[in-house]
Amino acid sequence: MKLGDLPIVSTVFEAGADDRVFDSLLLLGPLVIGLVIVLNRSLVTETLAIVYLGVFVTYVLYRGIR
Amino acid sequence: MNGAVATVGRDLGRILEALGGLMLISLVLPIVWGEYFALPALLVSAFVPLGIGWVLYRRFEGAEAPGRFHGMIVAASGWFSVGIFGSLPFLLIAWSVQLGVPGFTTPAQTATLAAFTEPLNAIFESMSGFTGTGLTMTDNEEVLPRTLQWWRTFTEWIGGVGVIVLTTAILSRPGSGSLTLYESEARSKKIHPSIVSTVRTIWWIFILFTFGSILALWLAGMPIWGAINHGMTGLATGGFSITDNSIATYDSVAIDFVLIPIMLLGSIAFPVHYLILQGDLRNFYSDLQTRWVFGYMGVGSALLWAFLYFAGPYETPFAALRYGLFQFVSAATCTGFQTAVDATNIALGRWPSYAQLTVAFGMFVGGAAGSTAGGIKLIRGLTLVKGIRYQIADVFYPESAVRRLEINGRRLNEKEASREFMEAAIIVVLWSTFLVVGTFLLLLTLPSGEYSLANVVFEVASAQGNVGLSSGITGPESLPAIGKIAFLFHMWIGRLEIIPVLVMLRTIFKRGGLYQ
Repeated sequence: MKLGDLPIVSTVFEAGADDRVFDSLLLLGPLVIGLVIVLNRSLVTETLAIVYLGVFVTYVLYRGIR
Repeated sequence: MNGAVATVGRDLGRILEALGGLMLISLVLPIVWGEYFALPALLVSAFVPLGIGWVLYRRFEGAEAPGRFHGMIVAASGWFSVGIFGSLPFLLIAWSVQLGVPGFTTPAQTATLAAFTEPLNAIFESMSGFTGTGLTMTDNEEVLPRTLQWWRTFTEWIGGVGVIVLTTAILSRPGSGSLTLYESEARSKKIHPSIVSTVRTIWWIFILFTFGSILALWLAGMPIWGAINHGMTGLATGGFSITDNSIATYDSVAIDFVLIPIMLLGSIAFPVHYLILQGDLRNFYSDLQTRWVFGYMGVGSALLWAFLYFAGPYETPFAALRYGLFQFVSAATCTGFQTAVDATNIALGRWPSYAQLTVAFGMFVGGAAGSTAGGIKLIRGLTLVKGIRYQIADVFYPESAVRRLEINGRRLNEKEASREFMEAAIIVVLWSTFLVVGTFLLLLTLPSGEYSLANVVFEVASAQGNVGLSSGITGPESLPAIGKIAFLFHMWIGRLEIIPVLVMLRTIFKRGGLYQ
């Protein structure tokens, strides 16, 4: 079974951005926010949030430059 | 049976079913926060629109597909109905706390929540939410049950997506700034050929931006519950807050400056966001509206900064920049977050009149068409300015001259130019007329001498521009019932860009039936 066959994942892949990075960010967003809610402010959650935003901004710039 | 009634009834039924679904989704909130007393009220609130929607949909299931006029009437009646039925959670939860719910522990009633036992206040709050306005009947949002804090946020967020869908997929037409975005020579193609895929595209962009906004605000130091709510209402340029003094509660420079790009994101046309996310970064400057979002907000903020520093109430250049920039962007993007309050600095209502009117001008113009912002929209303002220049210059050309009006990369012939100029002019004239009428009405109903003309113009422009900044007039006690009803109308027409509401009213009053 592939990752893309899982129920929520397949819906996002089908109706989402048609781009694996944006689709992954759509899937991971609720998880990161959920972790922030559960674990509160910590080095781990802050790093995760920074990485999430960093990947988004860098990827948009990368697509624009390439 | 009139076929148009069936088409509108069927689509209205779907909208009401969706509203009921949103309320059912929100049942998670009282469970998570342990506000079990809100569960019965929310359940009843959900079943009313679900039931009515189900009956309407089943009754008219086989109706014909909607045309553009049906779309306008569905949009106008849908927004109105959603505003009415969306008030049920406010009304029923307030009464649940007031009377108590057998078998559930209810918190003590507060003056803020008690205001919603009045149906007009509940409808006002709901309409303010779904239209993305942000004017409120609460005097302290912090004491509201978390369920209602969430419902206020959710109404604005859904309303934000709704208006993008409305302007880009349903009402898009030449001159509206939506269709033109696709048709421009600089653009590659339509977002997608069908409405369904356009709506899907808008959804994923909006959700992705929402996640980013929430995390950015949290990193700036906002608690996560605040970040979730303000991230959603900031991107939707709605402006509801969960704190008593809006964003001023946090009194944080970092939060103020993180919110500015979030509000700007909401005020840029979503078709442009799509193109940028596809890698076409040129749209930041090649798209007329996007260029002007930055240009006009920059100039407006600089002007306001000058007023506030050189002739106004702030003593340091940085304080004037911080509050001036935030308030102008908040107004011009039609968000309505407030950092200028007496608790931390100087309230907006006590700024000099010319500073208040500068902010009101920002509300009047608004952001880009195809975004969540209100106002007349930048494209209309620019079409009007270019059109006036074109008409005046016409005097200097011979009759045989073939002239073109260039707007956003499109070269319009005389007929097209006249049509787009006229459409922009009609909207601006109607917008200004309703602003003047609303101002007169409010001046007549408010206690004389309590508010200045600048205060009143500011408040009406805020309601009609779906902004939500307040000079202190709006409140459960301070705004008379007639003023509340008038503001409901202003918020409604402002969100729908006036024409669909007038089309609906005309079909009802003049024809005695729906458009045939």
